Amino acid sequence: MLNKFPSSITPLLDARVEGHSLPAGLYTRDDVFQADMDVFFSKHWIYVGLECDVPEAGDAVVIDIGNTSLIVLRDDDEQIRVVRNICRHRGARLLDAGATVVSKLVCPYHQWTYELSGDLSYAPHMGKDFDKSCRNLKAVNFQSIGGLIYVCLSDNPPSDIATLKKVMEERLAPYDVRNAKVAHEVDVIEKGNWKLTIENNRECYHCSANHPELCVSFVDLDFGFDPESLSPEDREEAEAHFAMYNERTTIWEADGFSSAAIEHTRDVETNFRTQRLIIAGAGESQTEDATAACSKLLGRMTRRDLGDMHLWGHNSWNHFMGDHAVTSIVIPLSADTTLVRTKWLVHKDAVEGVDYDLEKLTHVWVETTNQDAGLVARSHAGILDPAYEPGTYSKFSERALDDFATWYIERMRAHGY
Amino acid sequence: MATNLLTRATGSTAGQIWNPDTDDTLLCVDVHDETHDVKSFTFVSPERKSFAFSAGQYFMFELGIDGEDDGRCYSVSSSPLRPGAITTTVKRVTGGKVSNWLHDNLKPNMRVRASGPLGKFTRPTAKKFLFISGGSGITPVMSMAREMADTAQPVDVVFLHAGRSPRDLIFRNELANLAERLKGFRLHLLPENIASERSWSGISGRISKEFLSLAMPDIADRTVMCCGPAPFMMAARAIAAELGVATSNYHEESFDRAEIQDAPSPGGDAVKAKSFKVQFSKQGKTIVAGADQTVLSCAKKSGVRLPSSCANGICGTCKSKLVSGSVDMNHEGGIRQREIDAGFFLPCCSKPLSDLVIER
Repeated sequence: MLNKFPSSITPLLDARVEGHSLPAGLYTRDDVFQADMDVFFSKHWIYVGLECDVPEAGDAVVIDIGNTSLIVLRDDDEQIRVVRNICRHRGARLLDAGATVVSKLVCPYHQWTYELSGDLSYAPHMGKDFDKSCRNLKAVNFQSIGGLIYVCLSDNPPSDIATLKKVMEERLAPYDVRNAKVAHEVDVIEKGNWKLTIENNRECYHCSANHPELCVSFVDLDFGFDPESLSPEDREEAEAHFAMYNERTTIWEADGFSSAAIEHTRDVETNFRTQRLIIAGAGESQTEDATAACSKLLGRMTRRDLGDMHLWGHNSWNHFMGDHAVTSIVIPLSADTTLVRTKWLVHKDAVEGVDYDLEKLTHVWVETTNQDAGLVARSHAGILDPAYEPGTYSKFSERALDDFATWYIERMRAHGY
Repeated sequence: MATNLLTRATGSTAGQIWNPDTDDTLLCVDVHDETHDVKSFTFVSPERKSFAFSAGQYFMFELGIDGEDDGRCYSVSSSPLRPGAITTTVKRVTGGKVSNWLHDNLKPNMRVRASGPLGKFTRPTAKKFLFISGGSGITPVMSMAREMADTAQPVDVVFLHAGRSPRDLIFRNELANLAERLKGFRLHLLPENIASERSWSGISGRISKEFLSLAMPDIADRTVMCCGPAPFMMAARAIAAELGVATSNYHEESFDRAEIQDAPSPGGDAVKAKSFKVQFSKQGKTIVAGADQTVLSCAKKSGVRLPSSCANGICGTCKSKLVSGSVDMNHEGGIRQREIDAGFFLPCCSKPLSDLVIER
């Protein structure tokens, strides 16, 4: 019998062993990168930006995903729109990368002019009989979930985005992210495959040795530990910590703030996890001393003791705290380079230097993101070595990575690879 | 007087408020000559609903003359504290289609389509005001003055109204009455020339730094509300700034394209047949541009090339920085207010009002 594989990538998918990291080729090969872009960044919902990236009518921002370029804008009716950044004349890019202000969308090439609705309103020298009506900018499927903009580039977007929307609209409501302000934004290019970026984010096994700033407020035990490897004192501390979790979660829930862990990380199309996590130490915020960085709380928040509402997606991680939020978007650039775009959000009326100190607000995650970039590069470099073979995930502290790798393989197969 | 129109509201609509989203018909109940070329038109809602608006706002009238899309905006001149009716006061403009139609055809008992109230030119909270108006620009500030009179509270307002000649001064008698009656209301009338009334005893001419600083030495402490033809507003803004009025305390009714002044060329006689020097700073070229032509067409004729496409203010291709001077711009959405505020303009749909320096 002849073995027939649907694609050249199939043997790599078949070679993956449950409980282990992926075969090297899935991290390093160009054809796998192309397949990843096709499956995970075109056919699934991805997080690309925020409503508050475009706070005013006429604000527009360009987001590139592989060869696709999108314009996220706010139209004159204050509605968010997402259109493809491509002129319907001969395909020129309308806007350059980054943020801008537009009155109309005008192609710099031949001045085809589109309303912010995407409707073509002016196409010079095309003759009287030219039908403008079928030459509007192409709209993109998008959903704003609590002010976070998710897009799906395919015409058949996964319907289970509804679950994410249902859960997170409620959880994010008090933070009013739609009306927040982007206080700071940093792009970091990691020298590694996007899946390593995500895997690194899905465990805190590496935290105590690599993230001294983050560990002031973030509890590494939250994402698993082996009780056997703890000293007696540490074990006592861990037990006390989890007792506190039950207690806090019960109180938070009783006060009307959904807090329980919700995991949709296997056997789903839209992959996410959310939970209200405890902030260690002073307990307010992910800062150097765990106290709030911004005196004006986010949205309608009145308390600083509501921990860290975290949200993972397959190309993002987010932390929503009483005084600010940190949100990161992951966009692959090639098999071995990945863009991590991190934004810090505060109340829209918070004034830098008055209500918050930018250094205090950003320090922990600037450091943490740089440290993570180093770890991802270190990891990718080793996987390129012929001596690499898939390693065992810790069943205590790396379960989320096993879930992610398993979901990855499932989704690749589901899309014909 | 059409007394049959004055039936009181009865039954279901009594106490109802005009709904800007759904109500679109006004019933004319009175036409009144204010001056030789200015009339006031008073309207009620056909169902006798009350109007809720702020002094300074306008209604947009769509009369459908010749089946055309001819929306014009006219400020309400009556007091918002008399909510049973609204009055608009309209000057007949030479060549102006809508104002001529209103003057010649609109009679009591006729209905017109209108939407509103619209506009953000409303009185902020402040202790001391200067209302400064030119010609038919008096309407929104008259509404404010009437409202103040209706509230019967002490005020501190200087009301400066400029017109072409004494017989063109709108609401002249009523203003005299207000000044008599309302404590803290100081009236200044400034006709440009006094040919129609040689006995005029006050100053005549155009607004100037000297006149304003003499007439209201404390102008820097006042919140200014200004409305009038574009050149008048430009002059007023420059004078006020020079006399120390903070930008944040200066408010003007901007007649953008939607709020067309029903005029063949905005600014009227003031800039007729004038020409200005237009300098292109990067190219080191200076041309002469007529006040009645767009900056772009003058530039083209003089061999100065600017990027352009639609020539109608739609696309924004010609967007340029205006380093100095001022223009009368009628754009079609090709530029945002934010960009205008930052000093940009569209040469293709802007006529010069002064000498210009353009960063091109």
